[in-house]
Amino acid sequence: MKRYDMIVVGAGPAGLCAAIEAAKCGMHVVVYDENAKPGGQLFKQIHKFFGSKEHKAKIRGFKIGEELLEEADALGVEVVLNAVVIGLFPEKEITVKIEEHVEHVKGDTILIATGASENMVTFPGWTLPGVIGAGAAQTMMNLHGILPGKRVLMLGSGNVGLVVSFQLMQAGCEVVALADAAPRVGGYGVHAAKVARCGVPFYLSHTILCAEGDDHVTGVTIGEVDKNWQVIKGTEKYFEVDTICLAVGLSPMSKLCDMAGCDMEDNPAKAGFVPIVNEYGETSIPGIYAAGDVSGIEEASSAMIEGRIAGIAAAVRMGFLTKEAGDAEFKKQKTALEGLRQGMFAPGMRGKAITQTEEGVAISKNLLEHGFVAEEEIERFPGVTHRKGIHPVIECTQNIPCNPCQDACPKHCIKIGSKITALPAVDPEVSCSGCGMCVASCSGQAIFLVDEDCGDGTAQITMPYEFLPLPQEGEKGIALSRSGEKVCEAQVVGVRSAKAFDHTRLLTIKVAKEYAMKARFFRREDAR
Amino acid sequence: MNDRNRKIGEYIPAPDDDVIVCRCEEITKGEIRRAVHDGMFTLTEIRRYLRTGMGLCQGQTCTRLVKGIVARELGIRPNELREATGRAPMRPIEMCILAKDKEEKE
Repeated sequence: MKRYDMIVVGAGPAGLCAAIEAAKCGMHVVVYDENAKPGGQLFKQIHKFFGSKEHKAKIRGFKIGEELLEEADALGVEVVLNAVVIGLFPEKEITVKIEEHVEHVKGDTILIATGASENMVTFPGWTLPGVIGAGAAQTMMNLHGILPGKRVLMLGSGNVGLVVSFQLMQAGCEVVALADAAPRVGGYGVHAAKVARCGVPFYLSHTILCAEGDDHVTGVTIGEVDKNWQVIKGTEKYFEVDTICLAVGLSPMSKLCDMAGCDMEDNPAKAGFVPIVNEYGETSIPGIYAAGDVSGIEEASSAMIEGRIAGIAAAVRMGFLTKEAGDAEFKKQKTALEGLRQGMFAPGMRGKAITQTEEGVAISKNLLEHGFVAEEEIERFPGVTHRKGIHPVIECTQNIPCNPCQDACPKHCIKIGSKITALPAVDPEVSCSGCGMCVASCSGQAIFLVDEDCGDGTAQITMPYEFLPLPQEGEKGIALSRSGEKVCEAQVVGVRSAKAFDHTRLLTIKVAKEYAMKARFFRREDAR
Repeated sequence: MNDRNRKIGEYIPAPDDDVIVCRCEEITKGEIRRAVHDGMFTLTEIRRYLRTGMGLCQGQTCTRLVKGIVARELGIRPNELREATGRAPMRPIEMCILAKDKEEKE
């Protein structure tokens, strides 16, 4: 029987990172993945990631996947694709289906990094073609280049629902509405804001009543729910759509751990049925580890660190790394993981209503209820300042673990400090050259460069822009507000692109100066 | 859910009873609710009785939904129900492949 120092099940962010760490210590590692392409969900993620600079923040998800694969390859990790692990038996023996046969393989250590599957909700018509998971929509557009539909309703305002809504628009779909039964937006406010300013209406406290259509979706009816989740009569709204996208959470795919005999728990804080693991990711069975979404739903950034920790733990267990060296590594990784698990969206904060930021600034209520910060709320945040000439306006209003903007400014005018969740503040003493590095570096697309008074009655606003076709210099169009409503006429005066911007274009528009703090997006004249 | 004497009342038909919950085996919400009233109090029993989660997707889509329906019918929280046992094969596999172990060349 083939034998490895470590068998990893699942080639996603957690699995690859664990394999890399173990292989670095000299372990012979194999990674099995049932898909035809490695990388797990990373390859569907075309947006820039949040986090710290040290942990691949502001790099797009699929790029992170490519980097991890290259690293694993260079270290001699075997990645076997189309390999379906169908069983995990005592003595750490696995059976894996490869091509037309079943192989038995033994590992001295095993990491289960099988990830999660999408949750569904039922309503009349939910089995009609056209009702799809948000992850499925991402697979179609970002992996296979196929449009899931033309007109889409998104259910779910968590990060998945928000990010996929934005990507659907980038792919050329129209997102007619974003609904969520919860009374507040669940995902990052900056993700919500970039969807809202494109003109997508948010319907919080709304659920789907039914999908219409005979053999495919032709429409959907949503309705408002009261505090007891009962639909309020007379609040029904109908939308003509061909696609209903469901982004209502993920469930850990932990059956393999259960089968192996690991102690399990059904923990709502971890979003489902998960193996109980210690601080090294080790399950109740010595030598079997679990990392990533399978042991509790979180972001890919934390999955990567969990994977690294499990890989190091396996190396220590097997004697490939001394305990002292392992401890030093653990300390480093744990500090990073704790950093990511802070702020308003930390695992322990689920479902809690927050009224103030860590800095004591009142949270934008409008952002939570409608997806955008209201004009009368925006001024109170430390990133929003005014001065003569061009300067950054940072509309980042929640404590999230992200800090690339701090290092983006060559003049160091953006301050976050050592606490990664702190709101970015603008130093009014430092002059701004208008280079735009901060605008492109913000994964939340929340930084704008504003010149409130150009002297001729106009103001200029530079914004991140990730849509095609790209507007041309001189082109006229409409400036949209944070809520996606028309504010005024606008003219494109600059379109910048640079390698350092990583495909984010910087669009500068000119508007009448009274709209300097209102206009936040540009719509081409020929667009709908 | 080992208390077989638990009183859960009569099965009361609901307007959404005809919604399909397990797509692979085409089991409706009403069938699941009725099964609970027939005495199937655990997810394993429901699975054997109705074949929910036994189809092509192996419960990947409906496990959570079935759990919610059964818990509601029993008047408990979903996480109080033990998940149905995980067994090999984890994924659907053709019998001719399952029976074909790769020959070892030592």
